[in-house]
Amino acid sequence: MSESSKLSRRTFLRMAGLTAAGALAAACAPTTTPTEATGGQAPSGEKVTLRLWSHQNPSFVGANEQLIAKYKDQNPNVEIKYENFPYADFITNIQTSMAAKTEADVMEMFGSWVQSYAKGGTLAVVDESVTTLAKAQELFYAAPLDGYVWEGKLYGLPNEYNLEVGGVLANKRMFDEAGLTYPPTWASWDELVADAKKMTKVENNVMTVAGFDYVTGDGLGFLFWEGILEKGAEYFADDGVHLNLLTPQAKETVQWMYDMANKDKVVDPLTFNGDVNWVGTSFFQGLVAIGYIGPWIVPEGRRNYPDFKDPWDHVESPHFGSERKFAADSGWGKVVSPNTKNIKEAWKFSAFMTMDPANHRQWNVATGTVPALKSVAEDPTLLNDINWLGPSLKVLPYGRYVGMLQDRDYIWYTVVATHITECLQNQRSVDETMQLMHDEANALIDSKIKA
Amino acid sequence: MATTLPRKGSLFRRQHIFAGTTVTPVMIYMMLFTLLPMLWGVLITFFRYSPTRAGGPFLGLGGGNPFVGIENYLDLFSNSPNGVLFRLSLKNTLIFSLVYVPLNLVVTLPLAVFIESVTQRAKSFFRTIYFLPTVTSAVAVSLVWGVIYNPTFGLLNLGLRALGLTGYAWLTDPQTTVLGIPLPMICVLITYLWSDMGYNLVIFMAGLQGIPDVYREAALVDGANAWQRFWYITLPLLRSTLTFVMVMTMLSAWQVFVLFFVLTNRGGPSNLTRVLVLHIYETAFRYQEMGLAATVAMVLFLIIMITTLLQLRLLRKDWEY
Repeated sequence: MSESSKLSRRTFLRMAGLTAAGALAAACAPTTTPTEATGGQAPSGEKVTLRLWSHQNPSFVGANEQLIAKYKDQNPNVEIKYENFPYADFITNIQTSMAAKTEADVMEMFGSWVQSYAKGGTLAVVDESVTTLAKAQELFYAAPLDGYVWEGKLYGLPNEYNLEVGGVLANKRMFDEAGLTYPPTWASWDELVADAKKMTKVENNVMTVAGFDYVTGDGLGFLFWEGILEKGAEYFADDGVHLNLLTPQAKETVQWMYDMANKDKVVDPLTFNGDVNWVGTSFFQGLVAIGYIGPWIVPEGRRNYPDFKDPWDHVESPHFGSERKFAADSGWGKVVSPNTKNIKEAWKFSAFMTMDPANHRQWNVATGTVPALKSVAEDPTLLNDINWLGPSLKVLPYGRYVGMLQDRDYIWYTVVATHITECLQNQRSVDETMQLMHDEANALIDSKIKA
Repeated sequence: MATTLPRKGSLFRRQHIFAGTTVTPVMIYMMLFTLLPMLWGVLITFFRYSPTRAGGPFLGLGGGNPFVGIENYLDLFSNSPNGVLFRLSLKNTLIFSLVYVPLNLVVTLPLAVFIESVTQRAKSFFRTIYFLPTVTSAVAVSLVWGVIYNPTFGLLNLGLRALGLTGYAWLTDPQTTVLGIPLPMICVLITYLWSDMGYNLVIFMAGLQGIPDVYREAALVDGANAWQRFWYITLPLLRSTLTFVMVMTMLSAWQVFVLFFVLTNRGGPSNLTRVLVLHIYETAFRYQEMGLAATVAMVLFLIIMITTLLQLRLLRKDWEY
């Protein structure tokens, strides 16, 4: 996702004005009293209108539209007005409309944002007639569900399990040319790195093929948390709020990443990173042999690079310790506004889209995402519909939600990914990097707690 | 033929009614969409305001969005994450604008003089060619130049390699500098110059056309060479155009956003191309801290206003031709 346009002098001022105007208009709008969870149910048979907002990913929109049509067939008294927005506008719309209390009844929200909104009091608690937290914990995997939990209360229901761990992209042609076994069965990261070294190519001092590209904004964070957990440590401090990034296990993980780039030289972090030759594109340009990225890239790659002729797969990746343990983001799901006049109907509709196994599966198949509902993921016939999910499905029970980082994007990208990339590029030693990440992350957390 | 003139009072009243009916809607529009939002923008700089938090009953202020006095302003000069990033962004913005304005003038003014000296048909051709990038989408410009700068298959490095030289990671190398300016910032400067120079070129050409030939002809009769005619005649008479161009270019340079968002992927590498406008965007819409973002916007507004007033003062002239 990305959005941009040149900001001319006038456009800049207009944008600033409109943003503030939106907030002002929002603030001036008549407020509605939040409907209590116990009330707000339209009498049976009465016409109910719900608004649903989502971002404009075509496959997500298609999946939502199918389920809306199904729901309306089953509930003829319910009218659903579905609006979708470009990604950046979507976030802005949510924020400004929440200030005005005019947001949609049901919103598609990324699970890792939910705790911030729940903490701010801008989301409704899940109606107990739909499900309780305990019941939801039985039905959903912990990683996607826990993003929707704040202070012991459930604030939404996930559609998917957002996953970057458990599998990597692998280019069969490059494996064959290097005389390596395909599909690979790596017992450890060392074995993967050994294969990667054989496939790395450098011509005229320029890396033309990265054997193993893991230097991405998302990937570095996921590998970092996974390394710490699988090596037996914890990245949260004892208070459960601050981070402890100074453990030997954290340092070992960053040192391992550094060594792969600078000793094994399986990737050049200057020319392959989150800013240039990003793995999600460079793999499909034949510039990467093994790419660290989640299974969501498979349908994207098939759709965006139909001319890429090399055979490739998303294959199982190794892990650090004897047992797999990893941290994951939550995933997209449905939340409900506390200002809706039809809170029970809104939750009923949300549950229909997320908790009903057939609908949950239909949504995952249409969007190519990993199920958050255990019964759907454990159904072996799922692979008939989404045949690339095999490696990912095996690891789902071992994941946990990354936790309340106070500001997920800041910690993940501005602190962790940025500073580890700088370390790999030899701008800073591993020790200095650990201290810097620790200090900056905790300073951010302190500022958020203070706010 | 006798003409019946309306009575003075009636005309006066009708003029007032006309003025009132035409100006009032515009004034209301301006109040609603310019003045009030600006006031709102100033107001929230005194609150820790985020739309993710449910605020108090009055305009969403208070409650989860508490009044913090001038703390947001003080935060910019503290060692908080926002303060550190603000100062880094301010430094990058200063580097960019202070290099860009003279660079733009040094390139566009001589080019305008050169184009003015060629035939009318060639003049139209050059004007069109140089103006085309100005009307091209900045996103498209960023994507095209991103491919040119690509370290693996980009045109620039392919050319260098063909000459037996080693290429660079133009947009992602945080360590290479030119005169102390990071290489990625140099790349953005070049790209922005390419995309923006047509605007100033056209302004300068219009300015040059507005100078009466008589002055240059008189200088020619007095034996002045081309350089002397440019330096002693053309340049001083272009002063008002130069003032306009400098002010507008400086304003524009302070507000460049897309290139830093797309070409260097949100101010990378290592925030070396993070500028104030990008910092405002990230603070408001990525980190969802509208109060802090409005504070930075207010500081940017003050900086731009002071810079503009200084430029106008320094380049003020008290003559006309």
